[in-house]
Amino acid sequence: MTDIQGAIIRDKSKKIKISRNARSQEVMAYIFIAAPLALFLIFTCYPVFRAFYLSFTQYDILTPAKWTGLENYKRLLHDELFYITLKNVFLYVLMYVPSMIIVSLSIAMALNKIQYAATTYRVIYYMPGLTSSIAAATVWIWLLNPEYGIVNQILGYIGIVGPTWLANSSTALVSIVIVTVWQGIGGNMVIYLAGLQGIPDYLYESASLDGANKLSLFRYITWPALKPTTFFVVTMSMIGAFQLFDQAFAMTQGGPGNATKTPVYLIYTSGFNELQMGYASTMAFVLFLIILTISMINMKINGENSIN
Amino acid sequence: MKKRILSLVTVILVISMLVALAGCGGNTSAGDTTSAVESSTTTEATKTVADSKPVEITYWGDWAGEGQKQFEVMMKAFNESQTNVVAKYVVTQDMITKFLTAASSGQSPDIMFWDRWRTSLYAPKGVLHPIDEYMTKDNVKAEDFYTEAVKELTYKDKVYGLPLTVDARALFYNKKLFAENGITTPPTTWEELNEAAKKLTVWNGKKLERAGMSMQDAGLFSMWIQQAGGSMLSDDGTKTAFNSEAGLTVLNYWKKMVMEDKVYKVGFESGLDKGTDAFATGKIAMTYSGPWMLSTYKNYGKDLEFGIVPPPAGPNGNKGAGIGGFGLVIPEGSKHKAEAWELMKWWLTVPENAAMYGKTSLNIPGLKAATLDNFYSGDELYKPFLETFEFAKIRPTVSGYSTMEEKALIPNLQLFLEGKQSAEDTLKKAQELGDKVLLENVIK
Repeated sequence: MTDIQGAIIRDKSKKIKISRNARSQEVMAYIFIAAPLALFLIFTCYPVFRAFYLSFTQYDILTPAKWTGLENYKRLLHDELFYITLKNVFLYVLMYVPSMIIVSLSIAMALNKIQYAATTYRVIYYMPGLTSSIAAATVWIWLLNPEYGIVNQILGYIGIVGPTWLANSSTALVSIVIVTVWQGIGGNMVIYLAGLQGIPDYLYESASLDGANKLSLFRYITWPALKPTTFFVVTMSMIGAFQLFDQAFAMTQGGPGNATKTPVYLIYTSGFNELQMGYASTMAFVLFLIILTISMINMKINGENSIN
Repeated sequence: MKKRILSLVTVILVISMLVALAGCGGNTSAGDTTSAVESSTTTEATKTVADSKPVEITYWGDWAGEGQKQFEVMMKAFNESQTNVVAKYVVTQDMITKFLTAASSGQSPDIMFWDRWRTSLYAPKGVLHPIDEYMTKDNVKAEDFYTEAVKELTYKDKVYGLPLTVDARALFYNKKLFAENGITTPPTTWEELNEAAKKLTVWNGKKLERAGMSMQDAGLFSMWIQQAGGSMLSDDGTKTAFNSEAGLTVLNYWKKMVMEDKVYKVGFESGLDKGTDAFATGKIAMTYSGPWMLSTYKNYGKDLEFGIVPPPAGPNGNKGAGIGGFGLVIPEGSKHKAEAWELMKWWLTVPENAAMYGKTSLNIPGLKAATLDNFYSGDELYKPFLETFEFAKIRPTVSGYSTMEEKALIPNLQLFLEGKQSAEDTLKKAQELGDKVLLENVIK
């Protein structure tokens, strides 16, 4: 309950009765909040703490966990495969996040301009986001077939011998970037559209009167005004990107030559295929710390600017 | 007001912690009850046999669709064959993960469809029930089954299940393309394989139109190295052994096939399956495949005339192939182990029943006597597999083996096939990481 509401209540003559009523409402409110909070604590917080505990144990799901102290963390320090997956996922984030911003912002700006069939276009661009990631990945494997896939056939018409995409360790990760960007455009485009519609028209009008060209309009009005939106999109895309799994699992099984193996992929195989849940928890926790740190750095650099 | 909020928050926290603790307590007590159940199962089993009411048992498998129907046919036949036990098939998606939780919470199935190679990882954890006693009691002999398949279900001299199906990879070849290119006999050696592949390959400029031989699956290395006279692991199973003369022979041959003679292009088959299967549509003239593809390829009828031969022998005449397949196992958590055994015995040790499943599902049964059926021994598509079983070996039953292949060997082989590292480097890197992975996965 806010102070303003409280003040209003105090102004009324039937002071005591109403405030008692308000108090019972307040209690109700907390009871309502308590239910989701309890679920959150049980199904999110508790597993997180449990995983933290498991990261110090040797645990195979089938037999009780054995406390091994820092053993798992020591092993992780020397696990070259984990470093490879980290390198892969950083590379992925570096390609994915900027492409996501560029593509979704461009599409949002275009859709913001057009008058005719705007809703239809929005639906079309939003559609990939509704597809199941595994199903989409399966179709893309076929589209990206080096000899008979549509992508390379189109490239063939303009005289380019397309790469072998998923079968080549140099292009496999790029292929995954393409697929995941395609699939993620929708959501971010909608967020950008909302951001664009929040920019008052008079800013553009007055700037145009002063002789600003399109580029300066974007540079001095659109981009700064969208800073909070961009900050949000960057943060959310980044957190999602660090947890890349579905596409790497369905399209390349982490290959070829470990080129698309990600930390989450490694966590999954260690936990469920090798029954090393303790070690998998250790990796999960380290990944969590990495995402946390990077999000905080991002907040420090961009967050404050965007609020001002 | 602040106090109130604080007290409410503490109440919520306390409640949720209590719930969480209760959850913990529940887990441990569930563990206790399962062990209690285990100790009492033998008495329970003898009791239920005497009872007139049939015992219901649950059979878990992860096959749906056609596979489900074939299992249900067997369940029905079993239920009609006797009156003591009623078996029911339950399709369980993501079965292994569910089994992990079921094994520790008392929700275990009574009998399970089992990818045999998993035995070496799960048997040491005590979640599977050894069946030696039942076998002795009912005079079931391990020798009646394909020896290698039983070996895969064995851990520390105890047998944990019986083989349901056996499979191996053999060389599928397109008869029509062979005839068109004047090849009269299918290859029996690496050299003949190379010659045939060269003749069958068609390039159109930089575009590969037809590959002579599929070289897609680096995971088949374990088969190739046997043909070259080598082995994957040292005799005691603690170290890798593929960084050897034989390993090098395999990689040099692959290099000749893919990079020099260009009978294949890496990635050629990706995304081509079902309706666009590369072998079925003639984009690949030869490929290593297994009996599981027979029904698919037969559906093409006259459009695809194909033959099968055992894997060609290596330079010194060594033969090599991998044998795999499924089995049935009884989980330790089962409450009706004796009844589960009745089903297993009926299904897998009686030749007619084993053959009945084999024929309806187009699988090769694990019971040798069942393969004597004319359906298999008289069929030119099944015979090459039966011949292959004579020399085929299972993968090593070391708990970290598949992880080693997946993490250390295959990624390096893929880089080699792309031409990104030399044969020597490939084997050396794979060996170093592979030895480490094997060590990390030793079950203590």
